[in-house]
Amino acid sequence: MVSVAFINPLSVEGRQVVREMGNLDSFREENGDIINVVIHTRSQDISDEESIPHNYLDLAVKRLEWYIKKRNDPNFDYNKYSFLFNYKITRFDVISFYLLCQAVGVKFGPNSRESRAMVESQGKLMESRLSEFSRIDREELIKKILDSLLNDERVKWTFFEDILSSHKLKLEDLVMDHGNIILNKEDFIESFSSKIQHRDPDKIYNMMIGDKIKELIMNRMIMQKTEDYIYKVHQKSRREIEPNPILLELAEKVSNVLSESFTSYGYKVGVNGEVKAAPLNSNAFPPCVKLVLEGMKSGGRNDAIILFFTPFVSYARLYPDVFRKNVTVKVSDVDPNLSVVQNEILPLVYGAAEQCTPPLFEDQPQEKVNINAKLGFGMHTTVDLKHEGESIWYTPMSCEKVKLHLPSLCKPDKTCKRIGNPLSYYIRKLWESGETNGDHEGNEE
Amino acid sequence: MVENHHLKPATTEERRIYYREEWNVEEIPDFIKNSLDKREFGFDHLGRGPNDRYRVFGSLDLLRKFLRYRTPFAAYSSVAFYEKPRRRDGWIKSELVFDVDAKDIPLRKCNCKGVCEVCLNQAQEIVCSLMDILEGDLGLNDIHVIYSGRGYHLRVLDESVMKMSSEVRGQIVKYIIGAEVPQSEYAGDGMTYKLEHFSLPFGYPQVFTERVKYAILHITESTEIDGVNNKLLKDVIKYCKYINDDEWGLFRGKVGPIRYQRLIKGIASLNMGWVDAKVSIDLKRILRLPSSLHSMVSMKCMEVNNLENFDPFRDAVPRFVYERK
Ligand code: SF4
Ligand SMILES: [Zn+2]
Repeated sequence: MVSVAFINPLSVEGRQVVREMGNLDSFREENGDIINVVIHTRSQDISDEESIPHNYLDLAVKRLEWYIKKRNDPNFDYNKYSFLFNYKITRFDVISFYLLCQAVGVKFGPNSRESRAMVESQGKLMESRLSEFSRIDREELIKKILDSLLNDERVKWTFFEDILSSHKLKLEDLVMDHGNIILNKEDFIESFSSKIQHRDPDKIYNMMIGDKIKELIMNRMIMQKTEDYIYKVHQKSRREIEPNPILLELAEKVSNVLSESFTSYGYKVGVNGEVKAAPLNSNAFPPCVKLVLEGMKSGGRNDAIILFFTPFVSYARLYPDVFRKNVTVKVSDVDPNLSVVQNEILPLVYGAAEQCTPPLFEDQPQEKVNINAKLGFGMHTTVDLKHEGESIWYTPMSCEKVKLHLPSLCKPDKTCKRIGNPLSYYIRKLWESGETNGDHEGNEE
Repeated sequence: MVENHHLKPATTEERRIYYREEWNVEEIPDFIKNSLDKREFGFDHLGRGPNDRYRVFGSLDLLRKFLRYRTPFAAYSSVAFYEKPRRRDGWIKSELVFDVDAKDIPLRKCNCKGVCEVCLNQAQEIVCSLMDILEGDLGLNDIHVIYSGRGYHLRVLDESVMKMSSEVRGQIVKYIIGAEVPQSEYAGDGMTYKLEHFSLPFGYPQVFTERVKYAILHITESTEIDGVNNKLLKDVIKYCKYINDDEWGLFRGKVGPIRYQRLIKGIASLNMGWVDAKVSIDLKRILRLPSSLHSMVSMKCMEVNNLENFDPFRDAVPRFVYERK
C-alpha cells in the first residue's frame, strides 16, 4: 500500500524517513536507487539524459521544476516527470521535499517568491498525485491523512484560522452548522436533510462535500504546514553559524529554476524578463483605476486617492516589478532626483483629486501631506529627500483589499480574473500589448 | 414618539443636561465596564471628529466624572484590548464588529437625507439576519447589538474570533453579506451537475439566496445595480412575486438564465454595501460608546437587549428632546 508520506511528507511516516536519512554530503553523489526507480517508471521518458535525476539534489530541483514548467511552458512534457507519480519514489521524494524547504528557508525565508513557489508546488503535486489513484484508494488516503491532521471528529471553522487568513481557503467553501464544519455524510444528513426538498440528500452531499471539501482542506492544511516549516527553518538558521553548502547550492538552483520561467501574481514575464519603469499607459489601467480618474463622489474620496491611487500610480510608473523582486526600495532608489515624482506622479494624483466632487483639496488641503507620506516622505507639505524614510512607500492594494475598502471601485473585467492586484493587471495588459521591456518568451494565451 | 424633524443636533446646553441629569454610568454595558482599563477612549469635543484620543480610565468613576464635566460632543472606546492602551500598544485582541449604518445601506426605501424610521427599520432587519448567520452558521456567541444613533453596531466578543486577523475578518464579512456569487457547478462521479444557489438550502448558497431575495423584493425602478439595465430592472419588478413565493426556478425562467446570472452578479456587488467592511477589518477602531449621546441627531447610543421590540424613536430619544419647543 502507498505510504501517506507520498502525499504528506510532513506526516509521522515522512518524518520517520528523514530521521533515517544519511549525511547531507552524500546528496550530491550519484544514487543508483533513485535512477533505478526513475527509469523503471511507466511512461517515463528516458531518451534524454537531462530528464533523469541522478542524485537527491537533482531530484529536488526536478520536483519544483515540474510545477513551474507545467504552469509556464507551453511545450511542457509530462513524460519527463512521470517518476514523480510513481509511489516507489516516496522515500527519495520525501527527502528532497525536506531539502527544498530547508534550502528555501535558510536562503530566502518564508515571504520570498521561492517559498511561495515551494508551497504552491506542494499543493499541486498532492493534487495531481491523488488524481491518479482510483477513487477508493484516494478516499482511503485522504481519510487517513485527515484523521491525523484533525484530532477530533467535530472541527470548528475557527481551527482553520491560518489557512483562511492566508486565503488558501475561502469561508464560502466550507459548509458549517453552528460553527462545526460538516464533513461526514451522517452529520450532513442530521443537520440538513429536513431542509432539502425534491432532491436526494445523499446525492447533494456527494456533490457538495463528498471528497471534495475533505481533499481541499487536507491540501490547504499541508500547504500551510509546509509554509510553517519553512518559517521554522528560517528562524532557526538565523541563530546558527554557517548554513550547509549543499543547501546553499540547492537554493541557488531553485532560484534559477524560478527565474528561467516565473509566473507571479498571474502575470507572465519571459526569461529574466523584467518589467522596467516607463511612462504610464493609461489604456492599460484596470477598471478600478480608470474609475478614480473619472472622479470620485465624496464617500471614499480620501481613501481612493490616498491609499489606492497614489500607491498604484507611483509603483506602476517607477517600480512595477515590486512584487516579483521581494526587496523594498525607496522612491529615490528609482527616481534619484525626484523629477518623475514632481513632474508626473504628483500632477496625476492632484489631477485625480481635482476630479472628485467636491475636489479633494478644496475642503481638505491637509490631505496633501498624506499623499507625501504614502510615497515615503513622512508627514510634510513637500516631498523632500531629507525626509525620505520617515514613512514607507506604500505598496498598491490588492484586489481583495480594494473590494473591502472601496467596493464601489471594483468593476472587474475579463483580465481581472487572472490577477490579484491592480498593478498586476496593468503589467499584464502592457505585456499583452507588447509594451514591456522584458523578453517575451513564454506562452501567450 | 417623536417626529423626525426633532432629530436636529443637540446644543451645548442640551449636552450638559443630558450628561448631568439623564445619563447614568451604569448604562455602559458590562462588556466594556469589565475591560475598562484595557481600552483606549476617544472624544470629540467640538464636533470635528474624535481628536482627543489615547485616553485611559482606571476606574468607572473617573470615566463618569470625565463625561459629567466635559459633556463631549461624542464619546468612543476602542474595540481593541491593549496591554498599554495609552500608547495603543501591546495589542491583545479585538471585538469583531459589523457596522450597519442606515444612511449608507443600499436599496433604501426612503429618500431621507439622514436617517428615518424606514431606513432604520431596514437596518434592523439586516442586523437580525446577520445575527442569524453569525450564530447559525459560524456558531458565535456573546454578540451584542448596539444602536449607534444612525444604525447598528454588532459587536462580537466570542473568544474564538477576537484574536483573528483582518484577513479572516474580511472573509467573515464577505460570507455573511453574500459578497460573492456561489459556484453553481459541482462535479461528482465524473459528471458535472448544475445546481443554482437557491436549490441548496444550507451553507453559503443559502446565505446568498436570502440576500438575493431581500434585494429583489426591495428593488425599485430607480435602483442602480451594476450590469442591470432598465429593461431587466422592470422585468425583475414584474416577476418578483415568484421570489416572494420562493418560486426561484420560475423567476429565473421568466427573466432568462443569462440575465439572471447578470442580476445576481450585480446583487453580489451591491451586497458589499450592507456593512462598512472597513470597520470590520480594522483591529484598532474606536466605536461610539454605548450610553453616550449622538449629538448630531440627538439620540442615545445604547445597547439593545431585545432587537425585535426595539424602537429607536421610543427608546433612544433623550428626555431633553421632548422638552424642545
Ligand atoms: S479585480 Fe482588481 S484590478 Fe480588477 S477592477 Fe477589481 S480591484 Fe481593480
Ligand atoms: Zn430614511
